[in-house]
Amino acid sequence: MANVFEKQVFASSIGTLEIGTGEQRLVIGGGNTWPLYAFDGEPDAAAATPGTAPATAAAPAPGTDAAAAAPAAAATAAAAATQKSTSLLCSAAPPRVGLQISDLGSEGLDAAVASFYADCADVPAMAVKAAAVPGVEFIALAFDGANPAGANKAVEECVALAQAVAQVCPLPLVVAGSGNSEKDSALFEKIAEALEGENVLFVSAKEENYKAVGAAVALAWNQKLAAESAVDINLAKQLNLLLGQLGVKNESLAMNVGCAVAGYGFEYVVSTMERVKSTALTQADASLQMPIITPVGADAWNVKESLAEEADYPQWGPREERGIQMEVVTAAACLAAGSDAVILLHPTAATTIATLVELLIIGGSPGKSDLPGFNLKGGE
Amino acid sequence: MARFCIIGERIHFISPVIREAMLARDPGPVIQRAKEQLDAGADYLDVNIGPAESGGEELMKWAVRLLQDEFNNVPLCLDTANSKAIEAGISVYDRSRGKPIVNSADAGERIANIDLAADNDAIVLALCSKAGVPADNDERMLYCQELLERGMERGMDPEDMWFDPLFLVIKGMQEKLPDVLEAIRMLSDMGLKTTGGLSNISNGMPKQIRPIMDSAMIAMAMQSGLTSAIINPCDQRMMETIKSCDVIRGNILYADSYLEV
Repeated sequence: MANVFEKQVFASSIGTLEIGTGEQRLVIGGGNTWPLYAFDGEPDAAAATPGTAPATAAAPAPGTDAAAAAPAAAATAAAAATQKSTSLLCSAAPPRVGLQISDLGSEGLDAAVASFYADCADVPAMAVKAAAVPGVEFIALAFDGANPAGANKAVEECVALAQAVAQVCPLPLVVAGSGNSEKDSALFEKIAEALEGENVLFVSAKEENYKAVGAAVALAWNQKLAAESAVDINLAKQLNLLLGQLGVKNESLAMNVGCAVAGYGFEYVVSTMERVKSTALTQADASLQMPIITPVGADAWNVKESLAEEADYPQWGPREERGIQMEVVTAAACLAAGSDAVILLHPTAATTIATLVELLIIGGSPGKSDLPGFNLKGGE
Repeated sequence: MARFCIIGERIHFISPVIREAMLARDPGPVIQRAKEQLDAGADYLDVNIGPAESGGEELMKWAVRLLQDEFNNVPLCLDTANSKAIEAGISVYDRSRGKPIVNSADAGERIANIDLAADNDAIVLALCSKAGVPADNDERMLYCQELLERGMERGMDPEDMWFDPLFLVIKGMQEKLPDVLEAIRMLSDMGLKTTGGLSNISNGMPKQIRPIMDSAMIAMAMQSGLTSAIINPCDQRMMETIKSCDVIRGNILYADSYLEV
């Protein structure tokens, strides 16, 4: 008897979050299956193709009359239909991969990561180089230098840098904070104002500053916001409810439910993400249906396996490779547990995860992917 | 487990305001009662149009259209002894947010309402009684069996049959209450869904006592497996108890603001 594969789709679905504008627009999240279970999803070409809005594609170009545009629109629709029937695309957007840079330039990065940017004169140049890394779909600019315990850069200086980066960066932008809730409130407000209309995602609003950040970023300047809870599912739900009561729409929200590195309490991260997805899908809990975005890079490069010098641990091999591996295994596990996007630091890690996504979700073939990354010699 | 389903009971022909409004086709009071209940957290609204022996079909259609138009196709529980009126209500019902509920069938004269639900792909409230109050749980379960067989013979999914154990009044039948809880447990153990007019238990009690007694009863009934009830959602103590029980039973995820959702 032949196997019958039952599709497991839920009546409720994960919400989508759009960042960026125009052709750069990027959809994060969506779907009504378990994470990575693309085989359970309905094929949907439009949602899975980065930057392609079906409405934009079918709209007549300015100056063309409707009659001339109609065949073009029909052709587009036909092409979409063909793609739909032949591909394995899932109704969810595929997991997204972002690369993080620091306002401190090379000094804000691990030396193994910084070497990639050696030829970049300034932070905007780093953003441009990061955006060209294969598989990278958004750039996260972290304001490490704004932390009062560190360089304590003035808000105005940070705003100027954010504008300079936004001006040259060809991908959607994510703005990450300083690590200090109070400073982030002031910083996010001014950056959100300066980048009005750019549809930027700010990570993150926390329990301590959600009111100020939510009101400024999401309500006043209509940007996107992630709510951060450190591996605490009840707090994750609570923050979303509080932001909702403040007037922030679910469509403007993502969640950063916290991260840990594989081997460092990661099982709590997995459990939290899985319960978030389970509650969102099986209990139709709208307060947990926002997509999850997980900053992985900073944690992964901050554990002994990534930090220990080869001179001290020759049997562990080159430090850079270890750091990349910590990023890759942690990010892959986050995607399997329910993250809809990950933020990484090393370009090789980013490309590797993007390749994994392509092979698992988008339906690429081993060895035929345009993306370099794993040793993809399947079948040999 | 799914979250507890709250059917709001306050659109009832026995209320003079509602009766007058229904007879005059005056939308105001009906809409106001509906809004109060939905704001308080009702999932379904019960629409009781009384016996409706004449003109029931038109009245039910009017009520269904009125409420669904006003409240984004709110799911409804159609409540009258006039089966034709229920059928008429279903004929204009939009099921995008949930199947209509037929209120109600029993194992006696009203057993044909099972067929009505089966024919119209509706949910049916099935009372475990035939004529009057069942003497004990053996009798309740016998009626349950009859109702279940009738529904399944006509192709109903048992999920769409919500069994009512009959919530008996404490003042006068106090000794029967443990039986009611046990019946819910037995129905639940069979994998069946359950509901009922829970506040009947506090009938005749002083006004300030009723919410206390109703809340205690619903907590015990939910622990026995009750999946739904026809209640007054504007009873804050009752709603707080239901939400708290839903958290404790794992039906909803806890957050500090859980009572406000």
